[in-house]
Amino acid sequence: VLPRMSSKAHGSNNIAHARRTVQQLRIEANIDRIKVSKASADLMNYCSEHARNDPLLMGIPASENPFKDKKHCTIL
Amino acid sequence: WINTTFMAFCHIYSLVMAFRACLEEVQLNETLTHLKTESETLKSKLEDERAKLHDVELHQVAEKVEGLGQFVMKTRRTLKGHGNKVLCMDWCKDKRRIVSSSQDGKVIVWDAFTTNKEHAVTMPCTWVMACAYAPSGCAVACGGLDNKCSVYPLSLDKNENLAAKKKSVAMHTNYLSACSFTNSDMQILTSSGDGTCALWDVESGQLLQSFHGHAADVLCLDLAPSETGNTFVSGGCDKKANVWDMRSGQCIQSFETHESDINSVRYYPSGDAFASGSDDATCRLYDLRADREVAIYSKESIIFGVSSVDFSLSGRLLFGGYNDYTINVWDVLKGTRVSILFGHENRVSTLRVSPDGTAFCTGSWDHTLRIWA
Repeated sequence: VLPRMSSKAHGSNNIAHARRTVQQLRIEANIDRIKVSKASADLMNYCSEHARNDPLLMGIPASENPFKDKKHCTIL
Repeated sequence: WINTTFMAFCHIYSLVMAFRACLEEVQLNETLTHLKTESETLKSKLEDERAKLHDVELHQVAEKVEGLGQFVMKTRRTLKGHGNKVLCMDWCKDKRRIVSSSQDGKVIVWDAFTTNKEHAVTMPCTWVMACAYAPSGCAVACGGLDNKCSVYPLSLDKNENLAAKKKSVAMHTNYLSACSFTNSDMQILTSSGDGTCALWDVESGQLLQSFHGHAADVLCLDLAPSETGNTFVSGGCDKKANVWDMRSGQCIQSFETHESDINSVRYYPSGDAFASGSDDATCRLYDLRADREVAIYSKESIIFGVSSVDFSLSGRLLFGGYNDYTINVWDVLKGTRVSILFGHENRVSTLRVSPDGTAFCTGSWDHTLRIWA
């Protein structure tokens, strides 16, 4: 099992930590956001624009995929 | 007489100091309470702001998108050679070479087309949890329980001892969990069990920037696609995924919806979103511009943790490697599972799609790597 050692406990200076938390939250609360509908539309557009160039999505023939085995010819 | 006065002064002085100490403590407690209140208020505000824009679900918008057909993906190559659990792997930009690292301390460079081993290095520690290929293809970086990230230039001479040219770059105070070169061979980004991420100059070993904010071990990181600028995302045992500004060291966004450790984070190809995989058996998608989670990829039948996630080239498919030995393939937009792949005989610990998207590679505790296409 992966070793998961916890990092050391917060420093004894609780005030400094609380101040940093408040500053961090201020930054996060004030960013500009867009609606989920717009964000979703953009994700969908990206997918459709790039779909034809996505080999794993479209499936490309063995001749174009170096990992897929091509049909072998034997020289008699 | 002088003695008595002196004693009186000392007495008064100590009383005044004690009084001041009391006052200070009261003031400190008030400030702490005040800060905590403000903290709670800001958290509420954050939730409200996010909720206001939550007008629809991604999978609802995606209902009009055509569904995906059946996928036939099989193991095309099996890379055997590690003596113990494979913990990490990375593709070279040439789309055929792979570097992998293992619990047995070995780091191997493979030609995935032929399955030949091209280089092998033995690290001075076991549990090499992180490895990465340099953009030039001329070096690899790795580290783990040694708390360091070291860079090995790859020699054209197969007989040369790679360990001789090793360069120690990063030094953490706990294990190295992940590493990645930035756009060049010159800088490396690392994450560690010490709760921090850090950016290093490879040549000098100098620390360029450190990133503090996680409350526990950081387990993974991913750099934003180069077009979108200087940010990266990290995930940790504190269940948080944080987005960072590489220049300032500032955490610019934070997401806490997972119910357990986040083992893997990966940017969506456009850079506008990222996916995460967690011990809570779910993968999730977070949109950075909407600043919220927009999809959860889960099933009641999936109860084992996700170790590793990556997107196909268009971002339509999300591949997840799981602790139940399987790979689940998800339709990113619709939120449904499109395929489940079997093959590994133990946990899948690492998964990456090749740079040209023609295949993906998985590494497992069964000591092997598999290439799927």
